[in-house]
Amino acid sequence: MKIQINGRWYKAFEGEMVLDVLRREKIDVPALCAHEAVEPFGSCRLCMVEITHENWGGWKGNVTSCLYPVEDKLRVTTHTPKINELRKMILNLLLARCPNAPEIQKLAEEYGVTITDFVPRPDADDCILCGLCTRVCAEMGFYAISIVGRGYGREVGTPLNEAPPDCTGCLACVNICPTHCIKYEDVGNVRKIWDREFELVPCKRCGKTIITREFADRLIKDKNLPEDYFDLCDDCKRDDIAKNMSKLVIWQDKKEEVKR
Amino acid sequence: MKIDSPQKLKEWRDRCLKKKAAAKNTIVVCFGPGCLASGCREVYAKFAEILEERKLKDITLKSVKKTGCHGLCEKGPLVVIEPEGIFYTRVKPAHVKDIIENTIINGEVIDKLLYKDPKTDKRIEKYHDIDFYKKQTRIALRNLGHIDPDDIEDYIAAGGYSAVVKVLTSLTPEEVIEEVSISGLRGRGGGGFPAGKKWATCRKVDADTHYVICNGDEGDPGAFMDRSIMEGDPHAVLEGMIICAYAVGARDAYIYVREEYPLAVQHLYKAIEDAMECGLLGENIMGTDFSLDIHVSRGGGAFVCGESSALMKSVAGDVGEPRAKYIHSVVKGLWDQPTVLNNVETFANVPEIINKGGEWFKSIGIETSTGTKAFSLVGKVENTGLIEVPMGITLREIIFDIGGGIKDGHKFKAVQTGGPSGGCLPETYLDESVDFDSLTKAGSMMGSGGMIVMDDRTCMVDVARYFLKFLVDESCGKDVPCREGLYQLHSLAVKVTEGKATEDDLALMEKLSEFIVIGSLCGLGKSGPNPFLSTVRYFRDEYLAHIRDKKCPGGVCRELITYEINDKCTGCLACIKPCPVDAISGEKKKIHVIDQALCTKCGACYAICQFDAIDIK
Amino acid sequence: MIKRLLVTPSLCIGCRTCELACSLTHQENGKPGRSRIYPLEVGKEQFVPVVCLQCDDPACVKSCPVGALALEESTGYIRLSYEKCIKCRACVAACPFGCSLVDEDQDKIVKCDLCEGNPACARFCPTKALVYK
Repeated sequence: MKIQINGRWYKAFEGEMVLDVLRREKIDVPALCAHEAVEPFGSCRLCMVEITHENWGGWKGNVTSCLYPVEDKLRVTTHTPKINELRKMILNLLLARCPNAPEIQKLAEEYGVTITDFVPRPDADDCILCGLCTRVCAEMGFYAISIVGRGYGREVGTPLNEAPPDCTGCLACVNICPTHCIKYEDVGNVRKIWDREFELVPCKRCGKTIITREFADRLIKDKNLPEDYFDLCDDCKRDDIAKNMSKLVIWQDKKEEVKR
Repeated sequence: MKIDSPQKLKEWRDRCLKKKAAAKNTIVVCFGPGCLASGCREVYAKFAEILEERKLKDITLKSVKKTGCHGLCEKGPLVVIEPEGIFYTRVKPAHVKDIIENTIINGEVIDKLLYKDPKTDKRIEKYHDIDFYKKQTRIALRNLGHIDPDDIEDYIAAGGYSAVVKVLTSLTPEEVIEEVSISGLRGRGGGGFPAGKKWATCRKVDADTHYVICNGDEGDPGAFMDRSIMEGDPHAVLEGMIICAYAVGARDAYIYVREEYPLAVQHLYKAIEDAMECGLLGENIMGTDFSLDIHVSRGGGAFVCGESSALMKSVAGDVGEPRAKYIHSVVKGLWDQPTVLNNVETFANVPEIINKGGEWFKSIGIETSTGTKAFSLVGKVENTGLIEVPMGITLREIIFDIGGGIKDGHKFKAVQTGGPSGGCLPETYLDESVDFDSLTKAGSMMGSGGMIVMDDRTCMVDVARYFLKFLVDESCGKDVPCREGLYQLHSLAVKVTEGKATEDDLALMEKLSEFIVIGSLCGLGKSGPNPFLSTVRYFRDEYLAHIRDKKCPGGVCRELITYEINDKCTGCLACIKPCPVDAISGEKKKIHVIDQALCTKCGACYAICQFDAIDIK
Repeated sequence: MIKRLLVTPSLCIGCRTCELACSLTHQENGKPGRSRIYPLEVGKEQFVPVVCLQCDDPACVKSCPVGALALEESTGYIRLSYEKCIKCRACVAACPFGCSLVDEDQDKIVKCDLCEGNPACARFCPTKALVYK
């Protein structure tokens, strides 16, 4: 099917959301709480667009593109004055929530907000409660962290506020966080995150570490991989394959020698 | 006793009616929420005690019936002598002996227990003659105050389950939907969506399983209509749900009751148990092919779970957070199956619509809002209580005729409808018709039926602040406009009440409100700014008084008022002791003085002064 | 028809042109990307270019927890969707040939993507040690 975005027609597929099309066609719409790896959430509201359709009798609506399924001949406008004002207000509010987060400051400035009009949160961290970390943790199958509480006091938390027993130190939450507010520390062969310590698997040959023992064990169990799968790091594996492949090769000079 | 055919039901009904006719008098003791709070249990216990003692021939404890909310909660505990309708108010256990002696045995009416009309000062003997009751049309509340909710025979005698018989034996599901559509029944939970259309859309969805859910989450502060129906007439709800399930093709239905209503859950469980035992619920209802199980699901104490998508998540065992409803719940609802969600009151209307016909229902009310609506009329009126009125009645009739006017000689200021999502309407709207569309146009909404009347001692800015605080506490916090926006809006409202706000702040509040409405994910956020928007629309001068003059016209906002003693003071020393901070000083027979530096504006002195000597400025 | 990148180590002279070509083809915002191909010295003047072999039973696909890696049946090549990738590095640890790599500069995980059907390394290889057919 085809949908119209800002006047031009684009291909769209059944079951997609409007944001999927926007991303594929590289049309810039901010969306802090959306990521392809997880289901859309609709928390930040920045991806809102104006939609209409020739069959709707002139009715227009504002919807979050991350959650609105495409329909044939849908007409989408990504930047109207109202929507721009809305994004400005949302960023204004987010800046009050996280006044020190550089990513929010940068995005807010793009929409003309340098200082928030509201009272900034005291002792603020950089968490915008987009829920990406908890959703990706669920996607990984660990469910170690979750969103706790309701309303303004909502936060990303762990069971009973203690170090989460199901965390494997995979860093998916760290990597997906749009404001980089989840902190971790790798010191030697130990990774510290969420008040827990994990053993990083050292390469049996060169000692380089890539992932934690807990994460490796889960992958071996869940994906049916052999026990020694993670024993070597990628550099050493490359060396190995090079050497192995070289054994199969008949070298040029040998051939020349033979020829000669 | 298993009712496995419609004929058996008719025979049972005839037996129940015969039993009722045999009783000479029925003494109704109202066990509605208001009367429970004012002590009806002790009154009932006294009846039990005395009747056991006296061992009268015609009257035993069986003649005393505990019913649901009779209506006039302000004057409870209520005792009504049927069939005459003699209406006793503010009954205490000490009065019971006289009621039995004088009224039951000797047929005399006890004057001092009768209702006194505030306009004429005359005592009225029968409740049918009181304006409060005269002007009502009770359909959803038809059985409240007349049947014992725990006794299925009472419900059968009142015509219960006859609508189910009609539906299962003579109507197809499409015909049921047609009848409901003709009636024009719109959702009574606040959305006002045409019920027939909702049922039709759900039925059309091609899926293995359809669900029916009854929304008993009633979260609006001050609303107790659904509570009264669930507690006082649970079978009506069940009957409505059975009819809906038949129309839509559901095998399982759920009633979601908020955590704070344990009594409602109790009555619902009993009703379900009794209905199942008689074959009126469960497998092969009344011997037909249709089977339905109704389950009760408890809430966890969250207003946001009254929102349909959050409710369905809660029933499924997840955290109650709403979702974007671009795909409606009738298509993908509970466990992603097509689901009809309707309010308690909506279901309570359905059996009557089937029995008396959609045209009959349509003939009541007005064309665009048919039928009646239950309201919990509370606040500064003489007669607070539970009422049901035809759509199209004016606010003036409700507040001044049914409600009996404003209490204590004060003046009407505003009426708040629709709970925290609604708005306040001023005097100029008193002759406005009460219906879905008129109220919305005026900047408020029907909501689930809460109606709070306010007088000149109310500060509208404070009212806005109160409702915003409620919404901030109850917001699930998922999306930014609602979570952050309402929080900031509330902070600014507090600033206004403290006299610290500027006119720029007011402009910011208006702008912020506009975008909370556009950007929010669910109804809670979208209608969240309404308390502010409606009060600033009609009472802007009050906001400006707080901002420019640093004054509170309603005399409520503590930072902006002062308590002062005027020259009516007789020097009686009565106010000195109650003051918690010892701010009042004075000698006998000399005018007292309040030290403003210490005064906390608690109002204790104001409450106790008999001479009108304290002014709130 | 499935085309493969054919590697003939005996023809490789270790000139590292493929590495340069790969790096520059994958540059972003002026920063050269990490090369997906590695000519490694295994003996005197003997080099083996190591690159993703687009396995038929890929370990990387199996280890990815969010499904960002997928084997495309029609082209025979394993695609990494950058939007889905959460950089957990499971694939980096899993690939037996070390061909899933961490690009520190561009802050992402990378692997050979056959340059969407026209591999730069094959185009620039002077000795035809790398051929795409």
